[in-house]
Amino acid sequence: MLKKIIPKNARSKRALQKREPKIEENVKKAIFIRSSSTSQIVNEALSDLCKLKKPDAINFTKKNNIHPFDDDTSLNFFCEKNDTSLFVVGSHTKKRPNNLTFIRMFDGQILDMIEVGIENAKSLKEFKTSKCAIGMKPLFLFNGDLFENSHVHKTFKNILLDFYRGEAVKNINLSGLEHIISVTAINSTLEQSNDSRAMPGLIYFKVYAIKLKKSGEKTPRVELEEMGPSYVFRVRRFKFANDDVYKLATKVPKINKPKKIKNIDVNEMGDKVGRIHLGKQDLSKLQTRKMKGLKRVAEDYAEEYIEEIPISKKQKV
Amino acid sequence: MDDTTQKSKYKPVTVEKPIPLQYDLAILAGFDTNALDESRLKNDADTYLEEYTRDGTQLIINQIFKLPVTSSDLGVMAELPDLVTVLPREKPVRWEKFAKIKGVQHRKKSKMIYDEATGEWVPRWGYKGTNDDGANDWLIPVPDNADPFEDQFTKKREVKKERITKNEARHRRNVEEAEIALNQSKGVNDVNTRSLRRTELQKQIIISKTATASMGKFDKHLEGEPKLKGVKRKFEPIIGDVKKEKESSLNILNKVVGKKGDIVNVRKAIAKRDQK
Repeated sequence: MLKKIIPKNARSKRALQKREPKIEENVKKAIFIRSSSTSQIVNEALSDLCKLKKPDAINFTKKNNIHPFDDDTSLNFFCEKNDTSLFVVGSHTKKRPNNLTFIRMFDGQILDMIEVGIENAKSLKEFKTSKCAIGMKPLFLFNGDLFENSHVHKTFKNILLDFYRGEAVKNINLSGLEHIISVTAINSTLEQSNDSRAMPGLIYFKVYAIKLKKSGEKTPRVELEEMGPSYVFRVRRFKFANDDVYKLATKVPKINKPKKIKNIDVNEMGDKVGRIHLGKQDLSKLQTRKMKGLKRVAEDYAEEYIEEIPISKKQKV
Repeated sequence: MDDTTQKSKYKPVTVEKPIPLQYDLAILAGFDTNALDESRLKNDADTYLEEYTRDGTQLIINQIFKLPVTSSDLGVMAELPDLVTVLPREKPVRWEKFAKIKGVQHRKKSKMIYDEATGEWVPRWGYKGTNDDGANDWLIPVPDNADPFEDQFTKKREVKKERITKNEARHRRNVEEAEIALNQSKGVNDVNTRSLRRTELQKQIIISKTATASMGKFDKHLEGEPKLKGVKRKFEPIIGDVKKEKESSLNILNKVVGKKGDIVNVRKAIAKRDQK
């Protein structure tokens, strides 16, 4: 646990305020860490995945003795120190070669993590094409029914979306759609795995640059060019949050929910139309034009009074 | 005829899929649940995936271009819909803090509330309170998906107990944070309220020790109690300065009876005399 910092000047106070929990949260930042032993493939994968996440990413190039499935203290420390909630830890051991662990934190604690082994890695450098600009929002495409049916794949999808979605925006520039992250999962029966510690099935992670061509219509024709990186993943270990914690993490603050606007509509013409409820009008008290002929004489009042009193009451009196 | 030749100049923008894609356009995502061609994926993964992704991307782009647009000096901006996918937050919502920003004020609740079912006034909480969620009902229906051998009464009681402990922890945290804020306003920059309370308590122990003539020499020692330094029993000499002794005696007397001003309240005395 870090010692709580007391700001001593206005600058550090502002910096601390940026880290406080907010209704509209900051972009989740990510740290890419190397474990105590790594391989060339893992190192390149970490730096490439970091480049995709930039500018909200930090690449740690030194080795750290981190084993997220055994001990989470150093991750908690990094999380608090750097105000980050996403981690990718890369490692390479005999037991689990070319290993990447995607970790997501909530409130300084690990929410869920999933470990994948890399096969057939192709780094960003190997594709001799133009890359997308830094900080562009990617498109996502998830292929395969596993992302709908398998809990593990569903969570992995959610983690990837969380990693690369970037800032939450209301509008997007149509010319800023530059690349797409395509993830394809298949529960293959044909292939034989020599990785005994992995779940059956493969996940293809590929990134393409989008070229929008003329089509003679309003929507353009899409052509793709592989930009890299490209990996084939095999899911190994995973640890997901229990329902209570997850529920707490996905709670939407009340203030964030839009308030329902009543009685105000916009009609087809684009006019703002309001509706006002006045209640029922009491027509008996309506003052019409006064005329002598309509004037009630005193006898009328007397009759009405007697009629109104119920008989039983009259007897009692 | 003319129309078809015009179109053939360009490649089509339409894509046929047996199952239509699901979209979450707030994060520009598309979810394709159609079956994949396993044999092609095995033999020629790269080209197959590129073709397959191109079709999917085309569909997402088609959806994005259907969105309402506004043009600004930066270009054509599409308005994105609300997020569909549930993504967890980074930090928990602190209601106490947001309430302050929002200007939500606490209203005092009355202890008793009217129970319409029985037509009686009952306490809102506590003994015979109404917030027991029906744990005091004589019958609780077992929910369909619940374990039939589970005791619903104990379950409800435990849920309530848990709620209470959670709330207590939250309360404690709020109190501590308020204490820190108060100390900071006084200029004490110690975040740890426990250590603050400890030093405060130790000061008070020292003061209480000086209450006895032996300066706490024969008192029971507490565990981990610090050794007192500089607190010593002091004896005045039996024969000494008479002037000083007189002064100190008078001082004590003054403290007891000699409040500033008159000893006798004349007005009150006259009133008493007149009564007689």
